[in-house]
Amino acid sequence: MVFEPFEEESDFEELAERLDDPDPAIRRVAVLNLADTADPEAITLIARAISDSSPEVRLQAAIALGEFDGLEAAAALCEALQDGDSGVSRAAADSLAEIKDPHAGEPMLALTSHQDPKVREGALLGLKQLRRPDALANGIKAMNDPVPAVRIQAVGVVGYLKAEEALPALIAGCRDDEPEVRRTAVGALAFSKSAHAVEALVNATADDNWTVREIAAEVLGKQDSGTRASELMGLLEDPFWQVRVKAVRSLGKLRVSAAVDKIATQLDETVSNLRKEAAAALGEIADPAALPYLEKLVDDPDPDVRKNVRWALGQIG
Amino acid sequence: MPLANTPTSVPVEVDEGKCIADKGCTVCVDVCPLDVLRISDLTGKAYMKYDECWYCMPCEADCPTDAVTVNIPYLLR
Repeated sequence: MVFEPFEEESDFEELAERLDDPDPAIRRVAVLNLADTADPEAITLIARAISDSSPEVRLQAAIALGEFDGLEAAAALCEALQDGDSGVSRAAADSLAEIKDPHAGEPMLALTSHQDPKVREGALLGLKQLRRPDALANGIKAMNDPVPAVRIQAVGVVGYLKAEEALPALIAGCRDDEPEVRRTAVGALAFSKSAHAVEALVNATADDNWTVREIAAEVLGKQDSGTRASELMGLLEDPFWQVRVKAVRSLGKLRVSAAVDKIATQLDETVSNLRKEAAAALGEIADPAALPYLEKLVDDPDPDVRKNVRWALGQIG
Repeated sequence: MPLANTPTSVPVEVDEGKCIADKGCTVCVDVCPLDVLRISDLTGKAYMKYDECWYCMPCEADCPTDAVTVNIPYLLR
C-alpha cells in the first residue's frame, strides 16, 4: 500500500493514529509530519514516540523535539537521553542544547548526577545556555567528574553564569588535566577583574597547550590593566602564531607603549594575519616610535595589511 | 551520433531499500530548491526526475533514513 503524502499537517487525530501504526516507518513519518506543524500541541504526541519500540522512531522523535521549546519537550528529551540506543541519546543531547526556555532546565538538573556519564554530559550540555543560577552548584560538582567529557560541559555551565562565587571553581578548572576544560575555564575568567583571576590567567600563559595560551592572551587584554604586559610580551615569542596574534591584539587594546619594538617584530612574519593585527595594535598604541616599522609595510602584498598600516599611520599622525 | 540517448546515472541516487516515501515521507522532495525530485507512482520511492542539481545537499542531509546520496562531480568537490 502506498501512502499519500500528508497534506493536512494540523490534523493531529490522524497523526496520532499513525503513531500507533504497526509499521515503524509510518510511525517515523508521523513524527516528521508532527514536527513540520511547528505547533506546540505536537509536543505531547512526539513525546509519546520517545517510548516507541523502534529505535528509529525514538531517534526521529529526539531530533524532532529539538524544533520545540519548553518543559514538556525537555522532559521527553531527558527521558530519551537515558535511552539504551546511543544514537537516540546522542540526538537527545543535541536537541537539549537547542532548548532556550530556562524553566525547561528542571529535569536536566536532576540528571547531572546520573550514573551514566553520557547522560550527565547531555544534561549539562542542555543546561549550559539556560544560564540558571541554581545550576551553579551542579556545575561546580560536575567539574570534579572523573570523565573529561562531563567536566568539559560542566565548566561551560559554570562559566556561562559569570558568577563571582564560581571563581574558585573556575580557577581550579584552569589546572584541570583536560586541555579543553582549562581552555574554557580560562575563557570564562574574562568577567572577573579579581587579582586571583588575573593570577590564574598569567599562569595559563605558560600552559603546555597552545589553545589555552591563546585564550589566556585574549582574556588578559580584557583586564583593563597594563600591569600584566610583560607576560603578554613574553607570548610574542610563542611558537604558535595563533597565540602571538592574540597577544598582539591585547597589547594594542591595553595601549602598551613599551611593547612597540616587540610588536614590530611580528611585522616581518610570513603569516599576513599576524602582520595585519600587529599593524592595528601599533595604531591603537599610536606611539611615534612605531612609524619607521609601519612605513616599511606600506607596500605589503596583502591589501588588509596595507589598510591597517595606513590606518595606523593616520592614528600616529 | 550519441552513444546513449538517455542518461544512465543521475547525481541524486536513492536507495530504495531505505527510502520510506511509500510510507508518506516527502522530506527530500520538499527540501529540493530546484524541485527535481519526485515520488514514483510505480514504486512509491523517491527518484530524481530532472537532472538539474545544484549539489546543495539538504536532500541527503535531511533524509531520515540516509537513503539519499548526492554524487558530487569530482571538479566540484
